[in-house]
Amino acid sequence: MKVNTASEPSLLAATGLTRSYRGGRGVFDITLNLAAGEVLGLMGPNGSGKSTLLRVLATAAAPTTGRVSWFGNPDPRLPSLRRRLGVMLDQAAHFDKMTGYQNAWFFARQFGLSSEVARDRLDELFRWSGLLEARDQLVGEYSLGMKRKLNLVEALVHRPSILLLDEPTLALDYRAELDLIERLQLLSLTGTAVLLATNDVHLAERICDRVIFLHCGRAIREGQVPELLTELAGSKEVQLQVNSPIALEGLRSLPAVEAANVDGDTVHIVLARGANPAQVLAVLNGTADLVSNMRVRRPNLGDLFLKLTGEALPVAR
Amino acid sequence: MTMLAGTIWQRELVEFAQRRRSLIIKLAFPLLVGIPLVFVAPPFYAASSLTMLIAIIGTLGAGAVLTRERQSGLTLRYRTLPVTPGRLLIERLSTSASIDLLQVTPVLVLIAVRHPSQFAWWPALLLCTTSVLLLGNLLGAVASTLSDSPGEVMLYVFIPLLPLLYLSGVFTPLSQPVLLVVSRLLPFSYLHQSLLGALAGQPNLLPWETLLGGFGFLVGAAGMTGRLGRRVTESD
Repeated sequence: MKVNTASEPSLLAATGLTRSYRGGRGVFDITLNLAAGEVLGLMGPNGSGKSTLLRVLATAAAPTTGRVSWFGNPDPRLPSLRRRLGVMLDQAAHFDKMTGYQNAWFFARQFGLSSEVARDRLDELFRWSGLLEARDQLVGEYSLGMKRKLNLVEALVHRPSILLLDEPTLALDYRAELDLIERLQLLSLTGTAVLLATNDVHLAERICDRVIFLHCGRAIREGQVPELLTELAGSKEVQLQVNSPIALEGLRSLPAVEAANVDGDTVHIVLARGANPAQVLAVLNGTADLVSNMRVRRPNLGDLFLKLTGEALPVAR
Repeated sequence: MTMLAGTIWQRELVEFAQRRRSLIIKLAFPLLVGIPLVFVAPPFYAASSLTMLIAIIGTLGAGAVLTRERQSGLTLRYRTLPVTPGRLLIERLSTSASIDLLQVTPVLVLIAVRHPSQFAWWPALLLCTTSVLLLGNLLGAVASTLSDSPGEVMLYVFIPLLPLLYLSGVFTPLSQPVLLVVSRLLPFSYLHQSLLGALAGQPNLLPWETLLGGFGFLVGAAGMTGRLGRRVTESD
């Protein structure tokens, strides 16, 4: 049974957090809380501020204004605080001239594990991640997927109280993704708080208790995943694969269309509750040869994001 | 057997030891430059060249490595380690300076072998070399925060380094009283003086004065490294 977190104090809390960069990029006025055992997703398109926010929460960057506290403590440089964080940043940075095992050993020992404990846990995690055979290979020779797996091993080895993971499924094969989901669910059940920055709608729907949508550096919507999905109940998403660009204005003017956006050669259309997909085709009447494929499916968090912002989340894989 | 490193200084040493080609080049280069200087060149020119060599080894190594780490994202990962920025920088730069000292040790041994009667200068030479290497590493670390390009970092290192070497009397002997006073405020002058002494030249300072200067700059470098921890490790 999952730990009930409703009455527990936040392990991680941010109030009015802003981290701005020259050129106007960054994250602005973010307020969030993360309780023990909770899985919180940060969702948004590239450049929405997910990685910036995660870096601040991971103590890798300081906020420009606002307050952040970890376990009730606002000092991000406190070693005892950092020992309780497990971090996987967007860049899969390692010491390339050292082996995977040497890298993982270094981080395990830095986070306070004894030699015996580090050895046992690394053996288990290398086996779990599928890196056992490559453990003595130089990281410089690893593929991106292997480097990301090594990042996960390093983030998990000291059994942190808060896990902060930036695009954890990026470059992972399907098997590894399933293993990761299973592991995160297990950790969450035992009280680990997990914060994920992701574009992967399916991952978010599968393991997140709550999500925050980020757009242009601002939190535009927050809520429990089931509640957010309820908002879309009864509506449909139509995906049209088109051979050449089509004007969206005509589609958007339809009362049945709540949002429409193009992502590559795919047009995403969110239809209102009870609307008939045939209405969309009627608008395209005469240009039907433009459409090479049409798919109607149950809407997901990505569709809600599209409805809220008019912008589609990138496809995760 | 795999060498495992659990601390920051151990990791620096393991990586240095594992890079065989780089290890050979790093150890052989100062020796190749040092042999003709110690055995053939007049003491003043030998001392000038070796002062520059030691200063450059100290500054460029740290500057280039830290710039590469900034580019690759390793600096961000260092920031999430449970270590204070001051301790992190001290541990990294003191290890890097120790590796640099290992690089120039064969040259120092050559000097001792060539001029055994100048043994009174050896402690001062060792201390001044160490302080210049640590300060050089610190200068390189600060320069690495100014740019993401290793080439630009080299430029930022040389812009202050060359005038400082000149003001230390490394290129030409200083005669004006003001310049002499300025030179006493710079670590390179003490290294230059100790090299002059150890190479049987004609230094202006006594061995104990040079020893004291080298010690002062070593303590100052260690203190500054701790103070600049945040500036170097947390700048974007």
